[in-house]
Amino acid sequence: MSSVAAVPHAVVEEDVPHHKAKPPRVVRRRPGARRTARREAVFGYAMIFLAMLFVTVFTFLPILASLGLSFFDWDVISPPKFVGIANYQRFLADGPVLQSFGTTICMAIAIVVLQLSLGLFLAVLVNQRTSTFGRTFFRTTFYLPLLASTAAVSIFMGYLFDAKFGAINYYLGLLGLPGVPWLTSPFGAQVTIVLIVVWQQVGFTFVLFVSALMSVPIDVLEASSIDGAGPLRTLFRIKVPLISPTILFAAVIALINAMQLFDQPYIMTKGGPGTATTTATISMYQTGFQNLQFGYSSAIAIVLLLLILAITGMQFLASRKLVFYQ
Amino acid sequence: MARDFGPVMDRRDLFRLGGVGLAGIALAGLTTGLAGCAPSGSGGSSTGTLTMLYFGDQKAATTLQTALQPKVKKIDKDLTLKVTAINGTDWNDFLAKVLTLIAAGQAPDMVSVATEGLQLMASKELIVPLDTYVTKDMASLKSSYFNDIHPALIEAMMYQGHLYNMPDSFNAGSMFYNTGILHKAGIAAPSASWTVDDFHTMAQGIKKVGGQTLPFDWVVRLWGSWTSFLYANGGNLLEEGKYSGGDWLWSKAYDAGNPLITGRQGGWKWGAPTANSAPSVEALQYVIDMQKTGLSPSPDVGGGGTLQGLFSSGRIGMTIGGGFWAGGLTNAGMKNGSFDVQAFPSWKGNKSLFGTGGYSIFKSSQKKDAAWEVIKMMIEPESFDIMFPGNVTTPGRKSLMTAERYKTTGPDHWSVFYDQLNGSVPISAPSYYNALATSLNQRTTQAVSSGSAKSALDAMQSDLEKAATGS
Repeated sequence: MSSVAAVPHAVVEEDVPHHKAKPPRVVRRRPGARRTARREAVFGYAMIFLAMLFVTVFTFLPILASLGLSFFDWDVISPPKFVGIANYQRFLADGPVLQSFGTTICMAIAIVVLQLSLGLFLAVLVNQRTSTFGRTFFRTTFYLPLLASTAAVSIFMGYLFDAKFGAINYYLGLLGLPGVPWLTSPFGAQVTIVLIVVWQQVGFTFVLFVSALMSVPIDVLEASSIDGAGPLRTLFRIKVPLISPTILFAAVIALINAMQLFDQPYIMTKGGPGTATTTATISMYQTGFQNLQFGYSSAIAIVLLLLILAITGMQFLASRKLVFYQ
Repeated sequence: MARDFGPVMDRRDLFRLGGVGLAGIALAGLTTGLAGCAPSGSGGSSTGTLTMLYFGDQKAATTLQTALQPKVKKIDKDLTLKVTAINGTDWNDFLAKVLTLIAAGQAPDMVSVATEGLQLMASKELIVPLDTYVTKDMASLKSSYFNDIHPALIEAMMYQGHLYNMPDSFNAGSMFYNTGILHKAGIAAPSASWTVDDFHTMAQGIKKVGGQTLPFDWVVRLWGSWTSFLYANGGNLLEEGKYSGGDWLWSKAYDAGNPLITGRQGGWKWGAPTANSAPSVEALQYVIDMQKTGLSPSPDVGGGGTLQGLFSSGRIGMTIGGGFWAGGLTNAGMKNGSFDVQAFPSWKGNKSLFGTGGYSIFKSSQKKDAAWEVIKMMIEPESFDIMFPGNVTTPGRKSLMTAERYKTTGPDHWSVFYDQLNGSVPISAPSYYNALATSLNQRTTQAVSSGSAKSALDAMQSDLEKAATGS
């Protein structure tokens, strides 16, 4: 008789033929183990209860409420009136709102591409050439703008980029260069806002990339060096594939943020000139809180949510071929 | 029996208790935090507290509340006034936030309402007509209030023949100028009969001063924007008309034969959009051309804080302002005498614009009678400087428009504020004002950036036509 029988409540973990015979590993389960496991599970759920409560109350319920509201016509003041999918039909024919989605997508693409490439560039530079102190210094420096209030930064940048009285054009003037209509021409306003968003957000991407680059195995880098790979080849053939999961994460986060761009254009240009920097979220705000069409505004919000989900899904699909998991 | 001295609590219990404790603390914090985030004092209460929404910061609201409390106690010793501040860049912003509070079921008993929000709130039946209250107290109000208030302000607060608001302040769009810059340019102060041509000549003269100084600046908004030129040019964004009715007021509140009540009716009725009319295109193109020729910078949207900073730091020669600029410029550091004001220059005519503000009672209020008593108290002459310390707006009462009031702040020609009300028209704020303001901002900046008024105003016409039909 094997020893198993002698041990009450014991379980054989590996049932292998005796002739191959490592002695069987036995996990001893003490009496009441199941009850303990259940208690631990309950405790675990209790621990995440608050987080779940927060997510439910502040994320899922508002989304559900918005979804419900999107089928109504509601001006806050009068009772809501059920209109079915009329708000969605209106969305499909609403030129200015569709244009704001187009603007959002264009600006989001520009922001994500710039943010990732600049973040990677800075991370590679800092990772390659600097001491631990230098790395910490740059990491802090590049991360600082992210800690500043977006509203305060936007107001400040508005003054800085003012066409007539701003410091930027003042210094351009000292160099004999003409003033640039940073925020007063449609293209200028879009570019300026993209640059400001990238400036403020690049620190986050940079920190992610620095950490990821530091975790690239040194032996792999040494091997590539021995094989004669130069810095660029090492970067694009070794480092970038190895940190591609981080790049994917950074891209997803950056894109989600960029698709919800609101503060900078609303504060600096109020969505102008004209509607040049009117993003989807500004459209949503104007429709709801200024034009008192909360049902339609909710429909815009739901469409934006679906769009972000779709784009994020596409990113993950693309990642199957482009992202390398070790 | 010997007692085993082990740990009082094992690790698992400690975690469990810690988790429960943390959860409790977090829940308590969440509840307290959310309670703290909720606007205090709002909600039409049925207890002894009257709530009012105030356009400004909470510090000013608290000061106002403290100052008014003794007066409220005189009305009813069991009554308490709670003033809740709402910050905003302009009345448009204020209105949007008030509506958000209403959506959240936090409607107050009373609210400060300006022209911008009057028809919106009245048409949605958020505020109640004050006709019954006014009629009841007509005898005292006639002598103590109406005969001291310009009828233009009263008519601007009427809608479909009913009075919805008791105004106590206004701002007419006049032209402020920096006396130092005019002196430097060797230009005389404008006369009361000046025209847009005179204004243009002055602007060209100021341009010669050079440096960082520009002759003129303006803000993209409905009040006191390129719209001032539009009014002077004989136009408007919407067809001007008036609701019938109002005789119940005009025949009793003012002395018969008062020339100022001639033609007054039941409030302004804003008709079909005329945003791309010839006067409109000409007026907007005029200010765009000023920018093209270096006579003005690109305008800001909303508010007016940046403009005030530029004007007070001597970078702008002239701009459109109202009585609120007397206090605003003084607070920004300008000395009395360093700026002055003149009525807006005439163009095709001398029509100018104004906006007015006062107090309304919410339909949901449980204490409308008490609210009415408090409103009467707030529009008394001695309440004005409590409500608006330091000339931050223009008194609606003529008796308060005195040289003494402007002795320390200026401007010298303060009397133009009130005089300009004769023949002026309120800003065209229909029930769809918010949509109008959004379109005005977008299309004006579009016109400025493209350099052409016509196509932008065509688009604005289309926007307004859609907004007017509610689509």
